[in-house]
Amino acid sequence: MHHVRLAFRTLLKTPFVSTVAILSLALGIGANAAIYSMFDQLLLRPLPVHAPEELVNLSAPGPMPGSTTCNQQGDCDEIFSYPMYRDLERQQTALAGIAAHRYFGASISIDNEPSVAEGVWVSGGYFPLLGVQPALGRLLGPSDDEVIGAHDVVVISNDLWRERFGARTDVVGRTMVVNGRTMEIIGVTPREFKGATVGSRPAVYVSLAMRGAFSTVPYTGFENRREYWVYAFGRLKPGSSMEQAAAGLNAVYRPIIEEVEAPLQEGMSDVTMARFKAKQVVVEPGARGQSSIHGEAETPLLMLFSITGVVLLIACANIANLLLARGAGRATEMGVRLALGASRRQLLTQLLTESVILSLAGGLVSLLVAQWTLDGISALLPPEAAESMSFGLQPSVLIFAGVTAILTGLIFGLFPALHSTRADLISAIRAGAGQIAGGRAAARFRAALVTAQIALSMALLVSAGLFLKSLNNVTRVDLGIAVDDVVTFSVTPSRVGYDTLRAGVLLRRIEEELRAIPGVTGVTSSMVPLVAGSNWGTDVRVQGFECGPDTDCNSRYTEVGPAYFSTLGMELLQGREITDSDIAGATPVAVVNETFARKFNLGPNPVGKFMGFRGAARDSMTTLIVGYVRDVVYSSVKDTVPPVFYAPWRQNARSNFMNFYVRTSLPPEQLLASIPAMMKRLEPAMPVEDLKTMPQQIRENVFLDRMISILSAAFAILATLLAAVGLYGVLAYSVAQRTREIGVRMALGADGARVRGLVLRQVGLMVLIGGSIGVAAAFALGRAAQSLLYRLEGHDPAVFGSAVLFLTLIALAAGFIPALRASKVDPMQALRYD
Amino acid sequence: MTTLIRMEGIKKVFYTDEVETHALADIHFSINKGEYVAISGPSGCGKTTLLSILGLLDSPSAGTYELAGHEVANLGAAERAQVRNKQIGFIFQAFNLIGDLTVAENVELPLTYRDMPVSERKDRVAKALERVGMSHRAKHFPMQLSGGQQQRVAVARAVAGDPAILLADEPTGNLDSKNGEAVMALLQELHAAGSTICMVTHDHRYAQHADREVHLFDGKVVEPGIAAVA
Ligand SMILES: Nc1ncnc2c1ncn2[C@@H]1O[C@H](COP(=O)(O)OP(=O)(O)OP(=O)(O)O)[C@@H](O)[C@H]1O
Ligand SMILES: [Mg+2]
Repeated sequence: MHHVRLAFRTLLKTPFVSTVAILSLALGIGANAAIYSMFDQLLLRPLPVHAPEELVNLSAPGPMPGSTTCNQQGDCDEIFSYPMYRDLERQQTALAGIAAHRYFGASISIDNEPSVAEGVWVSGGYFPLLGVQPALGRLLGPSDDEVIGAHDVVVISNDLWRERFGARTDVVGRTMVVNGRTMEIIGVTPREFKGATVGSRPAVYVSLAMRGAFSTVPYTGFENRREYWVYAFGRLKPGSSMEQAAAGLNAVYRPIIEEVEAPLQEGMSDVTMARFKAKQVVVEPGARGQSSIHGEAETPLLMLFSITGVVLLIACANIANLLLARGAGRATEMGVRLALGASRRQLLTQLLTESVILSLAGGLVSLLVAQWTLDGISALLPPEAAESMSFGLQPSVLIFAGVTAILTGLIFGLFPALHSTRADLISAIRAGAGQIAGGRAAARFRAALVTAQIALSMALLVSAGLFLKSLNNVTRVDLGIAVDDVVTFSVTPSRVGYDTLRAGVLLRRIEEELRAIPGVTGVTSSMVPLVAGSNWGTDVRVQGFECGPDTDCNSRYTEVGPAYFSTLGMELLQGREITDSDIAGATPVAVVNETFARKFNLGPNPVGKFMGFRGAARDSMTTLIVGYVRDVVYSSVKDTVPPVFYAPWRQNARSNFMNFYVRTSLPPEQLLASIPAMMKRLEPAMPVEDLKTMPQQIRENVFLDRMISILSAAFAILATLLAAVGLYGVLAYSVAQRTREIGVRMALGADGARVRGLVLRQVGLMVLIGGSIGVAAAFALGRAAQSLLYRLEGHDPAVFGSAVLFLTLIALAAGFIPALRASKVDPMQALRYD
Repeated sequence: MTTLIRMEGIKKVFYTDEVETHALADIHFSINKGEYVAISGPSGCGKTTLLSILGLLDSPSAGTYELAGHEVANLGAAERAQVRNKQIGFIFQAFNLIGDLTVAENVELPLTYRDMPVSERKDRVAKALERVGMSHRAKHFPMQLSGGQQQRVAVARAVAGDPAILLADEPTGNLDSKNGEAVMALLQELHAAGSTICMVTHDHRYAQHADREVHLFDGKVVEPGIAAVA
């Protein structure tokens, strides 16, 4: 306690040094705590369920001919067909159990108040396997997963219960509407449970057996072994290993593949068949649940984490430097204390107490920095992603900040403490007069620290420069569309009870009503949202192009409304666009893009040729190509444009959801208010989804690039400023220390320029050494970050050049004041200390 | 006899916290080439101030100062640095060798501020060290030397640049009597070899080594007799 009181007194005695130290640490620790919070939530934290370490994710990579629909729950080869899943569930004995889940977009309605939410179909074993206990009522169990289409019961999430039902306990037994079906609420999940997929927060849990009941077209997904859509996970038996589990599962899986599924495959080449037959169930750790986020977030988060780690190192170097400087200032005090009989250990404890208190204060302030950083991150994320995470300071973040603070305090307080309590200190004090030297080891250590800071900030500046240039490349991609004044939104009539026929009528009605809104100059629609990461692909037949078993005849496509190309500013090269007259019954038509024409050898004049893409009509090739458009962006800004064809949705019987695009001559923001009002009049039960301007949509499509470059630039500038503070501190201290030497040099005839040169040479040397190390490190960093860079090499010379220039300027600026002060030394004064 | 230094009406006033200190009041003073002058007087009488102005470390508040025929009282900082480098050799009470540099490097320091070929610099350093009898310690660092040895190195540094005048401010103040005498003997030798020397000292014995003793009292030059009476 005595130590602590003394420490506070000392820290208060040098308020400037203490403040700089605390702020440096706060920035360093805060940035790390914020990224750690993301890291923890997305990559580290196990599911809040019973014994999560026993959970395993199942997959069976290999050819999946037929249809595959995958989502945020995992890679497309982590997916099973429903019949296969049930076979495994029934027959396997290697695991304590397996469960299936599949997320879906839900339109829910509670007391006639519609909204959009996430839902998940779960097998009867899902909740029992996870060992989740209900907060209220009961959860779904095997008895809710027996008869296809017969279980109109729903479990709601704790959040939904609180937000929409006011946490009322009489909610069990009430009904709500999920995608057009009235269902009875049987229970509420516990508060901490958010499903088994990180990055998603389902509001409703419905039995897997109900999937078909939500479909407005005849549903085949329960019988068809060539439709892959089920994600599966399991729980290891106590004491058994993943290898044992895999062996046991494959004992069931392999015979089914060989004997049941292989004979079902048609037109498969021998090579593909061999690969198909070799498929095996793979068992992987599943403590964190099953989510594609684990793969997607890892590289960017590791990148950001290493960046903030470097920021912290730089901050710590500042602390060490400041403590060292202060230690030197207290040399006499330490000498006197030692002389009075204090043991070295007592002094060390005293000094370390000081540095730990310093860093704890830094840790406290860092929480503010962490919160700001998290706010910044949440502003940079698309709303959907932001909603699935917490941006508050969670207990794990507080612990992280606390532990980091104490550790930095101990580690970076140690050398200064050891140094200023050296045994030869007393002789050093006595030997003060006579020559100008002292603390050469300390001076060299301090210079080394600053050199390291320069190296680290150099590396950070380069990587920030790379990310910024990459972002610049991303924003300058010619998307081939003109959508500055376009607003988009989507609706799903099928979720509110519309069959396809009525849905078609409603969708056409919406188009008309949109056209009537004042200021609207164009309206169109598309089943696949533009630049939203969605991909639809199908095998096609094209006149004059041979498709064998191993020829890739796949093309991306979307089904669009009239005036699609003109409303979105796409350039029509030949023929015409899709119009009002392209309806069911008329000649089936399509418009193709340049890459499509190239891939299928359509030559310079694709218009007039025939193709086929759907069902039985595929092979007869009755679809007439009526238009030829320039390659424009499809699902993602950064993808190279795939082969795409555009067909009229009015010629498709399945158009039961739609994305609309509305061009306006007024500020687009006005539409963001008028569209929901109009839709409410038209169909009050149907929520408007994803309402946003197209520029916003495009920004969200590249949010990761934006986020990484903005964060890395912010952190790099922060780091450079911290390094500049460090550099300034060291130089100012060294000038103060060398006042007498400078005085002697001036007496011997050194003029101001020469004295400034003395200081700036120090700067130059540190920049040269630190900068070179930093550049070398940046090369390595650039290579590691290559996958995050767009149309840019990790060793872009312009970026390296600017980073070097920037750092040199900052370093010179930091060195300028000490250099000036050095040249203003009055030799008379300097030499007066005798 | 040529006059090396001529000071007319030199005044120096220091202003600190609204207190005016008249450190030098109307100094008239000259030194001839080859002369050895000792300045003495009580503490605070302005000896160091006078020496600093002589050495162009400071400029007078008023008066004229001619060094080797040139008016130097009002030169700019860079020119003064140049004059210090070429014409003046300093010897300090506290030696003021630079601890990070070797003996040879310390002696070389003033020469590095001139455009002088490296070979000539090395030559001059060797000669200077020889003159003070410190050649065998050229590679040592100052802290490996005794006080007397350090001061001899400082003298070598002062003479290496072949200055017009050596200025020494109590060069024996930090030394015991034996080492002090050795340094005085060294100055004597330099004087005998033609150097012009101006030395501040408290010690009457050492003042007697000089050709001429100048007494300062309250910032004024006084006749020895008068000073003694006062
Ligand atoms: N930079 C300064 N600011 C204010 N006063 C000063 C300054 N330098 C010297 N003085 C004052 O000028 C007077 C002369 O000082 P100086 O150092 O020249 O004396 P000195 O004769 O060298 O004394 P000592 O024998 O103790 O070295 C003193 O009163 C001193 O306090
Ligand atoms: Mg003096």
